[in-house]
Amino acid sequence: MTAAAKQAQFIAPDAYPQMMSKQDAARAMKTLRSSATAEKAQVAMEKAAPPMKVAILQYVCELEEAEGNLDLIFEKVHEIRGFAETAGLITTGRISEILGRYMDDMIRIGKPADAAIVALHVSAIAQAARAERDDIAMGEMVAGELAALVARRLTEALR
Amino acid sequence: MSGAGFESLKALIVEDNAHMRALLRALLNSVGIKDVAEAAHGDGALRLLNERKSDLVLSDLAMKPMDGLEFTRQVRNSELSTNPFVPIIMITGHTEKHRVEAARDAGVTEFLAKPITAANLYARIAEIVERPRAFVRCENYFGPDRRRRAGEDYAGPWRRADDFQETEVR
Repeated sequence: MTAAAKQAQFIAPDAYPQMMSKQDAARAMKTLRSSATAEKAQVAMEKAAPPMKVAILQYVCELEEAEGNLDLIFEKVHEIRGFAETAGLITTGRISEILGRYMDDMIRIGKPADAAIVALHVSAIAQAARAERDDIAMGEMVAGELAALVARRLTEALR
Repeated sequence: MSGAGFESLKALIVEDNAHMRALLRALLNSVGIKDVAEAAHGDGALRLLNERKSDLVLSDLAMKPMDGLEFTRQVRNSELSTNPFVPIIMITGHTEKHRVEAARDAGVTEFLAKPITAANLYARIAEIVERPRAFVRCENYFGPDRRRRAGEDYAGPWRRADDFQETEVR
């Protein structure tokens, strides 16, 4: 086949069915930017937090029980990482993010994740999730230490 | 399509977590999108798309048995697809660069990282409303134009930077 025959076809936005007309789009943008929408959304976010926190505590139990099963740990960390901040668990989300990225990087370089590193993060996630109060300053310090440790281990793994 | 703003739109949420589905539904309801269908994975979502028109899709990435990437590819490329142009917002906690690129190459319209906020979700919806993307059809891709930055004006036959490399190989 020639290059010309395979040339990309460019389809402009007005050449295919749009989600809404331009008139409706102007109205929709007003809705998106209105304070009434922001207030409703805020209520929705606040309402979602308590059940998400309950779900995260359940995921944390499953995470602890998944000891050694890296696939399952990765799956649960991903879930926790996705919901924690929405549930108001900032530190839990931050540490889950570090562990998730570490495990993803190790998968990509084709080496097993260090069990001690994983266990350390799982323990920190559990403690942060179950803490009565999310001490964000302390959480940032712990997360910073864990991120530095992970960075060192990743560098070693890449050698 | 038609009606006033968001009120007449039909949305589809594809997400395996019930709590996240509930939150996304509430956020869509907040802007006036009341007709919202839900599926827990890509297979169910494809069935729903065929049964019921959807104007907007919010999809998770990691789901079983069919994940968000395969779901997006099916929507864009399957002969059975009822609306290959439907806007798809991929919502995921997997924010590593290679996953974002995989989502882009599957044909998603917008990418939204978890944890989600109302402002971030609405910003993605605003992008779709205000700046609808052109579509590109070529040998190995059909979906929204993947080039967004100014200066990405390369006009090779497949509109990709590696066109000449591919041409030489063939």
